[in-house]
Amino acid sequence: MVRTVYSPEYCLQYLEQYATKEVYVIGLILGQVTESRENVIHLARTPDEKNDASSEASYASEKPEPLRTLLDISETWVADHAKHVTRMLPGGVFVLGIFITSDEDIFEDPNYFSKVKSVLNYTHKALNSNQYMYGNIPNSNEKLILHMSTSTKVLTCKSIEVDVGSKMSIKPVEWKFLPKPQQWQRLDCYYDFDEVYPVLVKNSGISVKHQFQQILESAHKTIELCVMFIDGELKDASEPLEQVFKKRKIIIKRATDNPKSIQVSLFVPYENTFPETVQYSECDGHIHFSGVVASSIFMYPKATIKEATEAVKQDIIRSLASRFTMHCDALIDDNLLPEEKICFNEPPRRVLVPVGTSYFCDYLFPGEAPAEALVSVKELLDLQITEADVVCDIETPADTSEFDALDRDASSEELLATPQEASQFMYITGICFAMFVLIVSIFIHYYDGIVTCLSNFFSKS
Amino acid sequence: MSPRLKISKYVIERLLKTETYETTGCLYGLMYDGTLLVIGFSLEYFENEKKTYSQLLLNLPAEVELCGVVKFCDTTTLDSKPKEILQDVDITDNPLFLIIDKDKEIKAHFLIHEKFEETSYDVFENEDIWKQFLHIRLNTILPLSCEATLFGVKNVLQSKRKKIASGQVSFQINDSTVYLFGIASGVGVTGTSTEANIGDLVDSWNPEQMSKKKKYNINNVEPVSVNLVMKATKDMLSDKLVKTAVKMMTTQRKPAFCISMPLRVDTIAMVHRNTKLSELYSILVEATCRSLKLLESVLIEQLGQEGIGDGAGLRLPETFHYLSPEIGHFITRVVPKGIPDESMEKERIALHEQLDLPLTRPMFRRGNAYIFNSPKLINPHEGIAPQNRGKIATVRGKYLYCHYMQDNFNDDGWGCAYRSMQTIFSWFKYQGYNTLDVPTHKEIQQCLVKIGDKPSSFVGSKQWIGSTEVMFCLDTLIGVQSRIIFANTGSELLTYTPELIHHFQQHGSPIMIGGGVLAHTIIGVEYNEEKNETRYLILDPHYTGADDLQTVLSKGWCGWKTSDFWNKTAHYNLCLPQTKPCV
Repeated sequence: MVRTVYSPEYCLQYLEQYATKEVYVIGLILGQVTESRENVIHLARTPDEKNDASSEASYASEKPEPLRTLLDISETWVADHAKHVTRMLPGGVFVLGIFITSDEDIFEDPNYFSKVKSVLNYTHKALNSNQYMYGNIPNSNEKLILHMSTSTKVLTCKSIEVDVGSKMSIKPVEWKFLPKPQQWQRLDCYYDFDEVYPVLVKNSGISVKHQFQQILESAHKTIELCVMFIDGELKDASEPLEQVFKKRKIIIKRATDNPKSIQVSLFVPYENTFPETVQYSECDGHIHFSGVVASSIFMYPKATIKEATEAVKQDIIRSLASRFTMHCDALIDDNLLPEEKICFNEPPRRVLVPVGTSYFCDYLFPGEAPAEALVSVKELLDLQITEADVVCDIETPADTSEFDALDRDASSEELLATPQEASQFMYITGICFAMFVLIVSIFIHYYDGIVTCLSNFFSKS
Repeated sequence: MSPRLKISKYVIERLLKTETYETTGCLYGLMYDGTLLVIGFSLEYFENEKKTYSQLLLNLPAEVELCGVVKFCDTTTLDSKPKEILQDVDITDNPLFLIIDKDKEIKAHFLIHEKFEETSYDVFENEDIWKQFLHIRLNTILPLSCEATLFGVKNVLQSKRKKIASGQVSFQINDSTVYLFGIASGVGVTGTSTEANIGDLVDSWNPEQMSKKKKYNINNVEPVSVNLVMKATKDMLSDKLVKTAVKMMTTQRKPAFCISMPLRVDTIAMVHRNTKLSELYSILVEATCRSLKLLESVLIEQLGQEGIGDGAGLRLPETFHYLSPEIGHFITRVVPKGIPDESMEKERIALHEQLDLPLTRPMFRRGNAYIFNSPKLINPHEGIAPQNRGKIATVRGKYLYCHYMQDNFNDDGWGCAYRSMQTIFSWFKYQGYNTLDVPTHKEIQQCLVKIGDKPSSFVGSKQWIGSTEVMFCLDTLIGVQSRIIFANTGSELLTYTPELIHHFQQHGSPIMIGGGVLAHTIIGVEYNEEKNETRYLILDPHYTGADDLQTVLSKGWCGWKTSDFWNKTAHYNLCLPQTKPCV
């Protein structure tokens, strides 16, 4: 059976528009692969290389503009695009391959075909560079190539295997357009982090990058073990999602419920991954990693619970990895301490951006306005959205007052006292003060009585 | 309305055995179906103002609570201190007050409106406890990481208990799809009907056992295993949902020492079969909290000791469950890993005294712990229907039925004495006298070579051993002295009947007997004075089949034999392993 992918109809117009206007265009195919169906969600043109554009501009007056062809495309540029776009994809959605509009038949001309292969190989490698990004579909190395001829507007789709050397096989793929927009089953959860662990800061300080990497590794281990409950119930892994949804509609119907969203929860079973000993170490600091990762994924309704569970897990890890990468890329100094007593690292937070009938995401650094998301959506997804479309309230920025309060404490020596000493001190002071208030109030209350009593006493004596 | 009262046979027997007079005891029990069932008791000495009963509660299965007071006297008056105990009774509005007078008559009273009202009670048969009640064993590992100080440990464990008590956990039953949730989740139970009770659920997994008409006794308690899972996501419908994005705060402070370890939670709850799954959640939360408190106290105790104050010598807490026939309910203890039993005698003596147990033999050492899921048969002779024909003395405590072909080792035709010795060895292990594993044939042979009894070619051979070799090995490996009896003929054995009876009463260990080409294990003797007949309870190591109790009993591999069993003309040597009194 020929592999079939389903695409929304606007993708056709999208391709035709570029096939008409431009000599050639390359871009990414974004979508979801499930056992029951493969769905393309969006096509995103790879932006022009900026450096080239500026340097060419300066020479433009002297030299005639070089004839740009597909063969001039930089593989690393496309791979980089794929890496950046992956950060914006919810779990279960991947870069499935590339699309090209050009005059040449890229499948027949060996020069062009080897270029395409090379682009896909580069992309595959780049996406594999960070396992926590889930850049490539796990256990699959097939990539799609969709081609539209600029002259005939004929569409051809094929799949090739990457990363297999010379034995690369090419298979035809049937590309179908759906007249109606695809319906998605949305699953939401808030994964909660609240971990404190001791560290040794002394002398060398701590690398933020290294810490984040460790957090990521341990979060990955934990999340992989998690059991997922849908609407508070454990479902059969092979059951299709829509089945759950149908049943649910009959049982509960709350007015506030968004009919398209199902709430899921994750529970961690602790298994014995620890050494059977007491580990003993010196430390002079603590790392507190806390907050939530808001996760919203969109699944084809006939996808199974198992597929949905994997997508949720990928989404949380991918989102965590995206934030950490973006945060570390923006860091001037990776070393956390030892100058300051308290150091605060706030990676960018997640916002949702509409793409077709589902949502992708973007990340906003502290202080950035939602409008910033419009820029990356335009550049990386080739989509025009308005500020109002950005869903900014799935996560809130860290409350910096919490940090300020701690910072003030840190400046005094109080913080270095153990919490026990501090609390005892507070306790004793509190009691003393309370006693004082009590005595004064008794005195005031019974003032007349005490005075008469005292005067009686003295007069008697 | 005051509850109906039932008192377990175990408790009645223990109360009647108590010899102290004018002392006070605490009663422990559980409520089911409007009935208060008393299943345990302890003595209370009111020393140092410590409420030892509240400590002991942590060692009992969850659901078992303090339910009243027992006095060994003739009047219904109570001093102030026992009254304080009654005030601590939460399980019922009508605390129980038992009186055992000089004639050993038990009278029960409920405290109703500040007055004691005498009430009748039923005796709850021991078998019914194992039939009607299920034991739920929760196992999980919680990672613990904190500063190596008393405060650090207390603080982190308190926050763990809080988290568990606040509905942030779910319990998975028996690796199935059945999960229990807290009330806050609005779900309660998933994977089965909310109305289901635990007994039916367990039966639905083992339909075969039901049809076999399983016999329930203290040796085949099979707990329902439960696993704990911790909620990692937030409740989206909660009004108090804080959705602050992830952030990292690094704080520098005074240098200190930190410890991190896997904290193994292993805890038991005792519930009636009719307990609804929806009621089980809070019981399991309580069980987990009891375990965490026990674990905490072991860590705290160590941190308080000199030398390991900074945590460097801290040992992992290890949990053991005990179920001795003298007590009749589980007692859970947590001890630091690797500390020898001998150096923790003081605590054990205190526990023996509190539970009014003899100080002559160990009951709470590591080896005494209950054996869950043993691949070999334990005490097969207890499956034989009792036939009272005379004075009987049998082995006391648990042993393994060791016989030919076990452990994937073919010793058919030569290994019977080795197997008999393994049975004896297992008995010493399970009575807590040592913690060594039962030795293999090779280890037994190596031991005999080491002491010079045999040449080095003996190791790996198929040579037989006799009762003297068994004696040597027991002495060398675990320091057990044995008495050897020689009988010139099978009939001469009969003259030793009183000595055998005395052995089982005094020491209670299995006896190895060798004669002719055969070795057997004697695990009991019966003497009928009228007929002057002796019968022997024999455990036959020559059995080569599977460890199936029915086969072993019906085919007589474990059973009573008359004196004809012995060869009239053969010589017999018996090895009677001796015990020393200790706790």
